[in-house]
Formats: sequence, structure tokens, C-alpha cells
Amino acid sequence: MTISKSNGFIRKYGVIFGLVGIIIFFAIESPNYFFTPSNFILISKQSSINILLALGEMFVILTAGIDLSVGAIAGLVGAVSAGTIVATGNLFLGLAAGIGVGIAFGLINGVIVAFAKVPAFIATLATMSAITGITLIYTQGEPIWNLPSSFDFIGQGNLADIPFSIILMALAFIAAWIILEKTKYGRHVYAVGGNIKASRAAGIKISAVLVSVYAISGLLSAIGGIVLASRLGTAEPTAGSGYELDAIAAVVLGGTSLFGGEGWVVGTIIGGYIIAVLNNGMTIMNISAYYQEVVKGLVILLAVMLTSFGKKYWNE
Amino acid sequence: MKTFLVVALMIAGIAALSMAMTIGFCVSTLNNPYFVSFTNGAKAEAQLLGINLIVMNANNSNSTQLNQVEDLIQRKVDAIILNPTDSDALVPAVIAANKAGIPVITLDRSVNGGRVAMYIASDNVEYGRLEAQYAVKLLNGSGNVVLLTGIPGASATRDRTKGIMEVLSQYPNMKIVANQTAQFDMATAMSVMESILVAHPDVNVVIAENDEMALGAIQAIKAAGKSGIIVIGGDGIPQGIQAVKNGTEAVDIAQQPYKMAALGVSAAFFVVNGISLNPTSLSMPLFPVTKDNVDQWIASGD
Amino acid sequence: MDILKVEEIKKSFSGVNVLKNINLSIKSGELHAIVGENGAGKSTLMKIIAGELEPDSGKIYLNGKEVQFHSPLDAINSGIALIHQEFSLVPQLTVYENIFLGREISKRFLGINFVDRKEMKKEAQAVLKTFGIENIPVDSKIKDLSVANKQLTEIAKALSTNSKILIMDEPTAALTLRETEKLFSILTNLKSNGVTIIFISHRLEEIFQIADSVSILRNGELIATKQINEVSMEEIVSMMIGKSMSNRFPPKPSKKIGDKFFEARNLSSDSFKGINFSLRKGEILGIAGLVGCGNTQVGESIYGLRKFDGEIYFEGKKINISKPTDAIEHGIFLVPEDRHDLGLVLQLSVKENHSLPNLDLFSKVGFVSTSIEKKSVKDTISYLNTKVSSINQRVDNLSGGNQQKVVLGKWLVRSPKILILDEPTRGIDVGAKFEIYKFIYEQSSKGVGIILISSELAEVLNLSDRILVMSEGRITGELDPQSATQEDILRLAVKGKES
Repeated sequence: MTISKSNGFIRKYGVIFGLVGIIIFFAIESPNYFFTPSNFILISKQSSINILLALGEMFVILTAGIDLSVGAIAGLVGAVSAGTIVATGNLFLGLAAGIGVGIAFGLINGVIVAFAKVPAFIATLATMSAITGITLIYTQGEPIWNLPSSFDFIGQGNLADIPFSIILMALAFIAAWIILEKTKYGRHVYAVGGNIKASRAAGIKISAVLVSVYAISGLLSAIGGIVLASRLGTAEPTAGSGYELDAIAAVVLGGTSLFGGEGWVVGTIIGGYIIAVLNNGMTIMNISAYYQEVVKGLVILLAVMLTSFGKKYWNE
Repeated sequence: MKTFLVVALMIAGIAALSMAMTIGFCVSTLNNPYFVSFTNGAKAEAQLLGINLIVMNANNSNSTQLNQVEDLIQRKVDAIILNPTDSDALVPAVIAANKAGIPVITLDRSVNGGRVAMYIASDNVEYGRLEAQYAVKLLNGSGNVVLLTGIPGASATRDRTKGIMEVLSQYPNMKIVANQTAQFDMATAMSVMESILVAHPDVNVVIAENDEMALGAIQAIKAAGKSGIIVIGGDGIPQGIQAVKNGTEAVDIAQQPYKMAALGVSAAFFVVNGISLNPTSLSMPLFPVTKDNVDQWIASGD
Repeated sequence: MDILKVEEIKKSFSGVNVLKNINLSIKSGELHAIVGENGAGKSTLMKIIAGELEPDSGKIYLNGKEVQFHSPLDAINSGIALIHQEFSLVPQLTVYENIFLGREISKRFLGINFVDRKEMKKEAQAVLKTFGIENIPVDSKIKDLSVANKQLTEIAKALSTNSKILIMDEPTAALTLRETEKLFSILTNLKSNGVTIIFISHRLEEIFQIADSVSILRNGELIATKQINEVSMEEIVSMMIGKSMSNRFPPKPSKKIGDKFFEARNLSSDSFKGINFSLRKGEILGIAGLVGCGNTQVGESIYGLRKFDGEIYFEGKKINISKPTDAIEHGIFLVPEDRHDLGLVLQLSVKENHSLPNLDLFSKVGFVSTSIEKKSVKDTISYLNTKVSSINQRVDNLSGGNQQKVVLGKWLVRSPKILILDEPTRGIDVGAKFEIYKFIYEQSSKGVGIILISSELAEVLNLSDRILVMSEGRITGELDPQSATQEDILRLAVKGKES
């Protein structure tokens, strides 16, 4: 969405400089391994699941909500898809079942938030817990494996030498960009997050917007969950746990305001890449796990501080 | 006929002894096939002995488990079988049970305080040693090693890493090129291994501190189009055993969670009936499963 | 004797000179008004005096001694308190807790300091009583108070710190006439107790009613300081806007008022009862009343923002309005009382706010056409003379007048039939007010029916073709603006209140 020239510059582009800075650092430290085309494809592949979830999360955060259930939905969808495929041998039935479950739980989140007026944090915290439980019941705590090789394609296959998961991520990004930047609906999402009362007064159907953003989040979580299960060739009962935090981190790193109404799709992609590049680069450099956590925390803090500092500076 | 009578009397006796016996069974987590199998073993044994088993899952939270033990004490169960989430954090729970006169049996992980009637676990240091010994053996004492460790700070991670290091330090040609945590998690292991392969395309062996991480590493190796890298895992979960059979995992240091928990329930049964146990700690044997013995292992059904 | 004197104060933000060399003296015990258009630098100057901002250069003298404030606390300790337009009260706390916030009275018990609520309540009561506002319950929560009582609490809080200089930034903007009168009597009382008051206001009538002297700021410069009795309202206005303006209101157009096309029958809700009125094409119908009389609620109900009973007839048919979309479909639009709350999405740009209710007109199969949209925004901006740096400028960076023009402009796209204007010039400077009045005339000349809800009596009297007055949720009378006076409106506005 357009941001005024006067105060949007750092908010919008600061995160790009951040990513470039991190890439330059690792490129200097590890020119032979890190800074190679194949490693960038690998990073894209590794970030694809988180970015799929983050794009859905972004729609929700733009309306000043939050969806804590994205990881749980991804886990359940992976299990349902895998389970259905194993039970019926039908790949497309499995994918449809998974996507259906994802959208259904997204809709449930949306209805709870829009109509029962439960704060999004509490509503999705509750559904996160419930969905995690449903996954454990469904899988009985056991991973589902022995999946047909046709299922592997989604997370492991290539299309014209490009990993299919990257193609899925790119498609989701383009769709999100078009919806948010170019459509009436996208404008409504920003407006509802910016000022719900003024949006209602402008004739926008608030509950329709709210329900739909959670459904979109459910759909993208479902796709992420399927990619995850396919990448591993296994639907783990605990797959997806903790993914909500990485998704929220990517969105916020990308400059989207947790208060709603402000954000940039490209920023979310960059936020996702920052997390993936950090993980990849530090592993390549064989940095100890203890330090990795500290570095990740500091980078997130620094990026967010830079953004808010930039905002303040330009506003004055 | 006589034997029949004896057996019948024994069963009757056992049934009488276990009349209305209630035992609390506190498992650290059920989000892991290892502990699912573990809990199934306890349930099966309890059913056989006619014990009312109350299963409580702490979801890896120390405070949840402490609350659960306190609840069981409140319910005046006859014994508590505890699979602690942490060796130190659950000491107060054991002491509280001691005070209430309820015997405690710990499984899989010890508790560093209080009185415990019986402690059964696999030796995690030995687990690590076995993994490393197989790595040394398969590479004739020389090669590039990737180490995938468990959740940082967890006792299983500490002990297994200690065992692995103990062995590898004796072989200067076994070079650890990467030592990274993968949180005992398959998806994390896959991403970490993918990145490691970028920096170290010449890896010879991956030692993973459980099967989930070994399976993640196998996926990463497959995705990178590599072959000839030896992967060593442990725990003996079905998917791991299958990987050994397929030849993708070289060795799986199998534990026997099902039998361990079943033994724990029998021990509780004896203790409640006033039979003192000696010794008070048991180490469950570990079985390295390889391509050579995998069919036997599957046939034995654990 | 000057209690406060500022010398050669300069301040700039990101290269823009907001204050250029200000010299100002305030006499002890006077009520000194500061006027100027939005952006003239009034608030910045006050913030510097109150220690919230530090000047780039210049000096401040208090009782002849130079002082340097690095924080509001420095100023408070020197006896200067600033009361903001946005209150600095904690809504979840009570009146007395707010009054003593940060300097709670404590009592020692067993060597531990405990908050002495009893004593604090008693003290708070005493403070309120000093200023004749003891009717505010000290233990009610701030969020439950009316705007006026919040204001008074804020004043009580400032004065309980023994302030000698009280700076008030537009204290009457959100007050009713009656509350304003009450505030003024309290200010007069304070003045007689030796408190010096600096008072920012847009309402020139008020200044003539209460101020001793007035300073006029324009574009960061002090134009003049005058004793109130040696200056006229027209002179102040022309100094404020830099050109002489013979009248605050544009000349009335000669227009033909058309047929009755809108009728409200027996509208009732929680906030009003038995409302009946009609509106003709091209008519400006003023609905006057004190804040809380229900006129805002009537306007919001007709626009579909509130639930109500009763019937609405429009263009000969009974129509059903239960949500804003219903009203929008019929060409009935609301310009709300609080534009930040209901009128604008502050994070979005001028363009996006303009388009918000009009996206259906600007899009094809759900996709927004940038060219149609841009043209519409640009046309509207130039028609209304809205000052923006670009159509992508965020609306929260605009002045009040320009923000209001964005709100007005977005409805122009849809060719309004009825415009409900609720306090359309609140918080807007004189120049922009004049333009909005012109706009109202132009629309009515085109045949748009206008419902003008306002508590500014001069505005209602000058603009309206017919005036309804409300009190306590009922219409208490109808007046002809040709013959009616402000007193007539007031009499009807308080009717039913005394009994």
C-alpha cells in the first residue's frame, strides 16, 4: 500500500537494507558456500513454508488482529492430508481434505472474532490449543509416513529446475500483492485495521472482511502445512508448533504494524528471508545453538527498533 | 492339571492383590512416538495386572507435571510412576509424595532428590557411545562427522553428546565439521542438514541424537541429491527401523520404551504389595539395529 | 509586572521553521489568549513554555529570572502547568487517583508506606471544592466522566500542584455552552486568586468574553499583542489570516428551495424521542442544541450508524435504514462530529480515504482503476482547495481543516442528495471555516438538502434556512433564523432541563 514519501522511507526500505546487510556479512564470512546461487535457492526453499504462513498472518495483522493458530492449522492439515492419502490412496482427495480443513478452521477463527467479539489473541490462542489437540487425537501421537511418492513432489519436486515449493510461495506472494494493492477488497482490509468505526461508516461490511482474512490465513496455513509434510515425507503430530511465532516475526520485521492498517507485502517476504538467511548463514558458519538464539533475538529487536526510530524521525 | 491349578491360584492371588489398586502414571510428553509407545506399554501391563492406571501428560512443562503429581497425592493413589520432565525441577514433587507415604518409581530420567523406590532408564551416555562407535567402525576411524544434537540443555542431549564425544575424542581422524542442534525435531533437522551440506559437501557420517533428526537428515541428503552419507540415529521408532531396513539409516540405537514402562508398572505393583525391590535401579539394554538384524528386531515386535 | 517573558524563541522541525523569533510577555494575574490559524505555532510555543519541547534558541524568564526547562517536570516545579487538548488522565483510574498521580499521599504502617486513599479522597474533594466543582464524584473512574468533567479534573490536577501559570490548549473545543460558562466562571475565580492563565482558542467570541489581552500568531511569528478592549474581532481575524475579512461568513446565495423530499416520522431511540421533521431540496436545516441533547445521535441514526424506531420517507417512498450502506445507496451521507473516530482512517493516504466509500465506482471486477481513482481525487482536491503535498500524503499529517475537506470530498463523488454535517467546522481555523461555509452554500444551491448539526450558534443562525432546537432528546422548537437570536436558541436548548 502506498505510504507517504515523508515518513515511509525507512519503514519501507529499512528492512531491505537490513536483509542486504546480513547477506553481505555472511557473504564476506563464507563466500564459497553461502554466497552461491544454489544456496539462495536452498534459502528460498527453507523460507517458503514460513512465508506462506506469514502472508496469511499479514492479512490478519493488517486488520489489527492476530492469528496464533497458523502453526497448529499447518500441523493438522499435514496430518489430515497425509492420513487421507494413506487411507484412500487418492492424492487429490487428500489435498482437498487438507485445504478444506485449513479454510474451515480459518472460518471458525473469523466467526469467533467477528461475531462473538472475542479478542483475536484469546480466540486464536484457544483454537491453537484445540487444533493441536485434534491433531494428536487424529494421529494418536504417531507420525504418518509411508506416503506415496506423488505426494513428495509438492515439497521436494522441481518444475523447470525450480523447487515447486518456491513456485507456490511466489504464487502466494503475487496473489497477496495483487489482492492487497490492487483490489477493492485489499483497501477494505487496510481500512478496517486502520479504523474500524470509520470503515463501517464508509459502508464496508466489517464482519465479512474479518471472517475472510482469517479464512485466507487458514488457506495459506493449509498450503504451508502440506508443503511441510511433503518436504519431510512425513506428517509429524507436532509439525507446525512454534511456526506462528516465526510467521508473526516475519510480518512485523517487514514493517507491518501490529495495530493494523499499515504494512507492505514485499516487507513480509523480506522479513521471512531475514529469518531464513540468519538460520542458514549461522548454520553454515557452524555457530553454536546457544549463540544463534541470541543473535536472532537481537536482529529482530534491532530491525524493529530501526523501523520505529525511522518512523519517529520522519514524522517530526 | 497341577500346573493349571498353580497358575489359576497365582492369577487369583494377583487379582486379589491388585484389587482397587490405583497408580498414577506421569509422562513428560505424548508428542513423540517414543513416549506414545512408552505409555502404551504401561497401559498394557496395568490392564494385565488389573491396575487402575491414571495417565497424565505434562506436555514437557515442569510446573504442569508438579501440579499433576500434587493432584495424584491428593487423590491418595497407591503409587506414582514418574517420567520426569526435568531431573531437578521435579524433586519437590518426589519429596511431597515421600511425605504422603506414596512410593515413587521414576522412568527414563532420574530425579536428583527425594526417595525413589525404583529407577529404570536407558543409559543415555551409553546411547551416545554406541552411536559414535558405529560411526568409527563404519568409517574405519577416519571421516567428516556432522553431529545433530537434541534440545539444548535437556539431560538426554547432555548425556548422549557426552557419550559421543568420549568416543570420538579417541579418534583424531574423525573430524566433527558441524555440531548443531536440531531440537530433536525432524523439520528442523532437515533445514539444518540442508544448510550444513552447503558448507560441507564432503560429509561422511551424520550422528543424530534421535531417529526424528536422523530422518530429517536423510530427507535433506535426498533433497540435495547426495548419496553415500552414513546416517546414525537412535530410539528405534517404527519409521527409524523402516529406514534401517531401506538402507537409508545405517544404525538405529533402539531403546525399548514399551518394555521399560511395563517393567515400571510391575515394579510399582510389587512395591505397593510390600515387596521390596533389589536392586533399586535398572538400566534398560540398548539394541543397535542394523541391516543385519533388522528383520529379527521387527519379528520380536518391540 | 510580567510573570512570564519569552525572548527570541526559535524552533524548527526537520528544516521547517515553526517558530521564528517569538517575543512575548504575559502579565501576572491576567488571562491571556493566544489565537492563530492551525499551524501558526501556538501549540509548539506552549509546549516550549511548559518544558515539553526545548527551543532551538531563545530565552524564557519567569518573574524576571531566566529559566531552562528540560522536562515538563521542571516547568511544573516552577509552577507552570499545561493542559492538553488530549487529556493526560488515566481513564481506568478514579478522579482522586488521577489528581494525585505520581505524588500519592501515603501513610506508614509497620514501617511500610501504604497509599492513604481516605486522605487522598478528602484532599481531592477539597481541591475540587476550591474551584466550585465539587459535584464531580472523586471516586468515579475518568472513563465514565463527561468531557467537561474530564477537563475540570485536569484543571484540578494542575492546580493541586500549586501552579501559578495555567496553560490551556483549546479547553472549550469539546464543551457545551453551559459547561463553557461554568469553566469561565472557574477561570475568573482562579484569576482573582492570582493564577495567570494562557488560553488557546479558535472561538473568538469566547476571547472577547473572558480574555484580558490577546496575542495573534501567524506562520510562526507573533503579529501583535493587544489589550482586548482595544481590538475588534474583525481586526483579529484579519491579523490571523493576513488579509482583511469583512465577514466570517460568505454572502448568502440567492437560491430556490425546492420541494419537501425527506421526512423523519416519530424517530425514537435511547438518546431521543418523538423526532419529527422534514427537509426540502436545497434547504439548510440547522439542528441546534447543547452537547448531549441528542442531535448527533439523530444524525447518526439517519445515516444507519445507530438503531432506532420510527419511519423515514425519502423521495415519496418509505425507506429502511439499518446500516450505513442503506443510507449511502439513497445518497444520504454523514460528515461525522469526530472525524478521527468516524470520518478518517488516519494511517491511510488522502487518496485512500477519499476512495474508501467509493471503491465500487472506481473499480472494475474488484480491481481498483488507478486512473479513475486519481482523477477523482485530484478533481475533488482542486474543487475544495484542499492543501496536500501529494495525494499519497497520510491524512494524519494534514491540518484539521484539510482533513475535514477530505471527509467532505469523499461524498461529493457520489452526488449527494442529503448531507448530514455534524459540527462541520469544529477545530478548524478561520480560513478553512469560511471555505466550508462556501461549500455548504454551493451544495444547497445545487439542490442538496443539508442537515447542519452544530453547537456554534453563530454558525447555525447564519447558515440555516430553518432551525430546530433540541433538548434532552426532544425537539423543543423551530425558529426562523431571519428573526431569531442566539438567546432564543439557548432558551429552547435548555428547555426541559430546569424542570
